[in-house]
Amino acid sequence: MIRVAELVKVFGGVRAVDGVGFTAADGAITGLLGHNGAGKSTTLRILYGLLKADSGTAHIDGVDVALEPLQAQRLTGVMTDAHGLYPRLTAREHITYFGELRGLTRQAIAKRTGWLLDALNMEAIADRRAEGFSQGERMKVCLARALVHDPKNLILDEPTNGLDVMTTRSVRNLLQQLRAEGKCILLSSHVMQEISTLCDDVVIIAAGKVRFHGTPDALRRQTGIDDLEEAFVSVSGVEPC
Amino acid sequence: MPILAVWCKELRDAVRDRRSVMSLCIFPVIGPLMIFFMFNQIIDSVDQAQDITLPVIGAAAAPDLIDYLRQNGVAIETVEPVADGAFSSAQDEYVHGAIAERRWNFALVIPPDFGEHIAKGSAVNLELQYDSSRQREAAKVARVENLLQAWGSETAVLRLLARGINPALVRPATVARIDVASEQARAQTILGMVSMFVLMAAFVSGVGIAVDATAGERERKSLEPLLVNPVPRLCLIVGKWLAASVFSMAGLALVLVLNLTALHHVPLEQLGISFIMGSRELAGILLATLPMAFFATALQLLIGLFARSFKDAQVYIGLLALLPMLPFYYNLMNDTGREPWMNLVPLLGQNMLLTDVVSGRAPAMTDFLLAGLCLMAWAALFIVAAAQQLKRESLLYS
Repeated sequence: MIRVAELVKVFGGVRAVDGVGFTAADGAITGLLGHNGAGKSTTLRILYGLLKADSGTAHIDGVDVALEPLQAQRLTGVMTDAHGLYPRLTAREHITYFGELRGLTRQAIAKRTGWLLDALNMEAIADRRAEGFSQGERMKVCLARALVHDPKNLILDEPTNGLDVMTTRSVRNLLQQLRAEGKCILLSSHVMQEISTLCDDVVIIAAGKVRFHGTPDALRRQTGIDDLEEAFVSVSGVEPC
Repeated sequence: MPILAVWCKELRDAVRDRRSVMSLCIFPVIGPLMIFFMFNQIIDSVDQAQDITLPVIGAAAAPDLIDYLRQNGVAIETVEPVADGAFSSAQDEYVHGAIAERRWNFALVIPPDFGEHIAKGSAVNLELQYDSSRQREAAKVARVENLLQAWGSETAVLRLLARGINPALVRPATVARIDVASEQARAQTILGMVSMFVLMAAFVSGVGIAVDATAGERERKSLEPLLVNPVPRLCLIVGKWLAASVFSMAGLALVLVLNLTALHHVPLEQLGISFIMGSRELAGILLATLPMAFFATALQLLIGLFARSFKDAQVYIGLLALLPMLPFYYNLMNDTGREPWMNLVPLLGQNMLLTDVVSGRAPAMTDFLLAGLCLMAWAALFIVAAAQQLKRESLLYS
């Protein structure tokens, strides 16, 4: 379970995150929705321990991220906004490297890697070097290495951004499978479509503040707008141009 | 063990990187090539000075002088004077032309009235024409000139004796040059160059990993995903550091072996340099230089983390490789000798130890320890600073 409360982060006088609070439940996919620059990535970066909040708290399974960052990272699998790979390592070696960094045994890594390669449909590229991977192949490697330790909680920054239909579909299937296993999944997106097909819960952020938190149906009811995209625009308070 | 994981990954990555491997393999070859080139130059010019063919114009006028030159091992190529005779402008042009066309490198011109001058006891002008830009011929020209001077002195002595005058009267003092430098000390300058190469190797060989593991990680955006793993930053840096150190040490050892092999194959005895390199000296050199690998790579990692981009890092770190030249030049300027504080200055201490070892003085064990520990202390400081830099938010998000 992921819980943030009263989170504030200021960059050079700008309040990028301004009192954000929400809870992402286990066995559910929670979508963090907002325009570019709304504060989604900053919130997630605080959660995975690479930014320090100026005030407020962030907990992962009850562990305070600010006080025990390594313990919180142990409980979490993260796909960051940056998708950098090592061009001279193969897909399998990327997954193995992260498994070793997390202290898994060789057998555990091999077993888990086999499962991930299959689940993400990437056996064909498993032993190819990352140099020359397509955007979709890169994203799959990033997702696979984030999942190598079978984390209880998942934080994914725009996981399907720029992917083709087939890749998007295999990522979605995997996420739904993990939800069924009872994992807590928090992902961000700026595409309403993405959120509405995948998420049980939606948190809409604009200008560093939470504007809405609830199911997509609740969003329709609250705004009285049937089209979710329109509802999102009206809630985030930005005029369409 | 995360340090081991990082270490393995960085080494595997580097071994597959053509640039890293190339920089490890190319640099060590430069030193031996320079040694071969330099020594062959020196030895060649010494050799050739023994083997001179001197074109002489107007030889017929001075049979005594020609005999004297021949007795001293100079082969004479007699050239008939141009019609107008020696010291005419046509004669000059002919000689200049021959030198310019490289048929000759130098020539001796004897005037036709040489015999008359000698008989009268008056001074005679000989001309030795040469091209001073031909460095390789300098030794030959100097030898011919010396022989001509010696013949002049001998003739003078004979004239004085014939007139019943003690030749010592006109030569109140003679200078004898006695070189007291030991053969080992003479070898020092050359071996000093070798130690400079060895120290540079420590900086050059690990560069690939050091840049790739810092500025490279940032530029290809793989640093953020790396840092979400629950591994203390110090462990990450130490893993990268030890991997870069492996390359650095390998380069260092390679340079050492290749340079020493080259020195063994150069005929040093011909230059009056004796060069003894036993296992004791070899161990001493390794002991003095291996800590350098850890120092150099630690400094490179720290700088790599401060650089804004890959290119930035390469420029800064490339300049670092010039650092080992500083103690080399300092030693050229400084002749006050070795002082204890020098052990504590990185590079200078190592340079001192190396020069001591190669010139046959065994430095005290405490000197090795002091210099090595000092380097490692600096390295540790750089590593801690690098770990600190890795914790800064602005490193990832600026």
